[in-house]
Amino acid sequence: MIYLDNAATTRPSEGALARAEHYLTQCFYNPSALYHGGIEAHRMITDARRVLLSCIADSSSYDLIFTSCGTEADNQAIFGAGRRGNVVTTAGEHAAVYESCKELKNRGVEPRFAPLRADGSVDVVALLSLVDDKTSLVSVIHVSNETGAVNDIAAIAKLVKQKNPRTVFHSDGVQAFGKIPVRLTKEIDLYTVSAHKIGALKGTGALFRRKTCGTLPPYLYGGGQEGGMRSGTENVFGISCFRYAAEEKFATLAQDGSRLADVKELMWQQLDHKLFSRISPSDGSPYILTVSARGKRGEALQRMLWDKDVAVGTGSACNSKKPHSRVLEACGYEDDVLSGILRVSFSPRTTEEDVRIAAEAMNEAARQFGGL
Amino acid sequence: MEKVIIVRYAEIHLKGKNRGYFERVFCVNLEKALKGIRHELRRTSGRYLIAAFDDLDAEEILSRISRVFGVHSYSIGYRVPSDLDSVFAAARIVCPQAGTFKVETHRADKRYPMTSIEISAAIGGKLLDANPALKVDVHAPQHTVYLDIREEGTALVFGAFEEGAGGMPVGTSSKGLLLISGGIDSPVAGYMMAKRGMDVEYLHFHSYPYTNEQAKDKVVELARILSRYAGGESLATVKVTHIQEEIHKKCAPELNVTLLRRFMFRIAERVAKRKGAKCLITGESLGQVASQTMEGIASSNAVVTLPVFRPLIGFDKEEIIVRAKKIGTFDTSVLPYEDCCTVFLPEFPAIKPKLSFIEEEEKKLDVEALVEEALTTLERISIH
Repeated sequence: MIYLDNAATTRPSEGALARAEHYLTQCFYNPSALYHGGIEAHRMITDARRVLLSCIADSSSYDLIFTSCGTEADNQAIFGAGRRGNVVTTAGEHAAVYESCKELKNRGVEPRFAPLRADGSVDVVALLSLVDDKTSLVSVIHVSNETGAVNDIAAIAKLVKQKNPRTVFHSDGVQAFGKIPVRLTKEIDLYTVSAHKIGALKGTGALFRRKTCGTLPPYLYGGGQEGGMRSGTENVFGISCFRYAAEEKFATLAQDGSRLADVKELMWQQLDHKLFSRISPSDGSPYILTVSARGKRGEALQRMLWDKDVAVGTGSACNSKKPHSRVLEACGYEDDVLSGILRVSFSPRTTEEDVRIAAEAMNEAARQFGGL
Repeated sequence: MEKVIIVRYAEIHLKGKNRGYFERVFCVNLEKALKGIRHELRRTSGRYLIAAFDDLDAEEILSRISRVFGVHSYSIGYRVPSDLDSVFAAARIVCPQAGTFKVETHRADKRYPMTSIEISAAIGGKLLDANPALKVDVHAPQHTVYLDIREEGTALVFGAFEEGAGGMPVGTSSKGLLLISGGIDSPVAGYMMAKRGMDVEYLHFHSYPYTNEQAKDKVVELARILSRYAGGESLATVKVTHIQEEIHKKCAPELNVTLLRRFMFRIAERVAKRKGAKCLITGESLGQVASQTMEGIASSNAVVTLPVFRPLIGFDKEEIIVRAKKIGTFDTSVLPYEDCCTVFLPEFPAIKPKLSFIEEEEKKLDVEALVEEALTTLERISIH
């Protein structure tokens, strides 16, 4: 199987699993326990927190709340910081942010959605025009999970703070962390990351929090773990895997990025341009190439490809109630483009050989579609 | 004192000389329904007793019994020696702690020293003495305590009659093949035939890769729910993708659905014969969609010789939905996985297709070869 759906999830790193195994089988103690085993487990969490923080932030200014997934971290950011006035976000957010912002309406906070450009990045001028003195939170996705377009969050955050210094700035960095260079600048208050997108496990996420932004109200109450902001016995094994996987990723981040940028362009060159249109921008994440087999069904193509041992993602589902990707619709594409969306997403394991085979399979599937 | 569930059967007593056969099938169905639960099934005159079960299983047994066709009513209660003290001890447990009540006695053992009215009065009096919060009301009581004095020196004491599923024991009216889609209607159609004693087998058509695997899983789940009433061990699936592609490529687009239905019926008839089913069952309701018009139905029937039953033909959608909810298939049916990809759906399907036109268009296809090819994709999925 050539696996090219790495934006959905990644194969866990055997190295990270092996290094963390101790916390699954030997040091299985409750990290809140006060005997040595518990202290050791707790120490592992502290170490992981320090390592993960140092990957993208200044550890003296930020801390990290471990959560059960990226969605939970996004929810905590939106509902924790978006408690008054209005919240400005984009039409290109992952559902974890988008649906949370919609829910704010029921809680007396007005959500405002900034429009997108054709490549899936936010229209910054329009976004800023929505920010006013009542804006409590701005949330902008870092790398679009649907197109790979990169929003310059450092610049956007700066502009937002110039307009309203009291606004909290959050970004969903799930498709960016461990994949593209990230440095949290002082205007970025909250930043969401997820473990299973970089070779660790499902069930672990985290929210970076700038200390000056104050404590976030807890989402789960209980034993007071994570500084009282996220109760529940910590997932020591998942957190350890996250740390070791991140260490692996950040060690080769620059090389992987430049190689995969070539892999991505090779993939695009190999596709039959009479059948496929390109959605992803050339300056987007090297990990994501989104294309459309115009007039065909992405979901059916996806299954045809699975039967040819190639796994890719899609932007639409054969579902009459919700036929197309909300984000790509917001980019302004017509129905025939929207129906045929395929998202090809890479990992450092992806080889040139893989994408040549996958591209040929995609060309073949698109030609066979409909028995035509 | 023994806790028992009393099961009374419905139309079987009408069956004259065939009664023995109907009772045997009914008994087998009850045993099937109770598979995996410790119990004893005893036959007494005109009813069955389920006994020797764990108290914790009682709810599950009742729920399973409620789905067995042929059950007229059932009650949970106690089997005790028929002396007054024993009957009273059971009646105290069955009778609620407060409110109005009456005691109703049925005396099958006519040698019993008291009449039904005397027994009711005696037990009622004792219940009143024991609990001042109770009051007798023989006309509109909140609760009734039923006493059934049996011949073998025992009595059954229970508090209520629960309505059973009715109908006839599944398996006493031959076997039929249900064409089951992922929709609301076809499971209800299968239910209604099973209610009249038909053993139901299941056949589903899919168009992988245009339709998805969740759609298939959904149909497996529907068949699983339905099989709790209607029997059946497995779901047969047949892939009609190539047929759809050929129709799409070669024939008039407005006939896409009509032509596909004819293929489905031809395939279904052959599957039915392999499975020993004597008829086809569909969930069609007159005029509900373009293929369910008189002309559409006639064009499908024209390609098969087996009878086709459409028990929902005169039902409105709302009526079907009410039944689907009662059976428990509705929530699964409305899951948003489609069993037919819109790629092949015409914008304007023919509502009154002429048979001559249909046959003309069908000549563009190698019907026999396509049917045979589709049958090679036949799969069986266990639904248990």
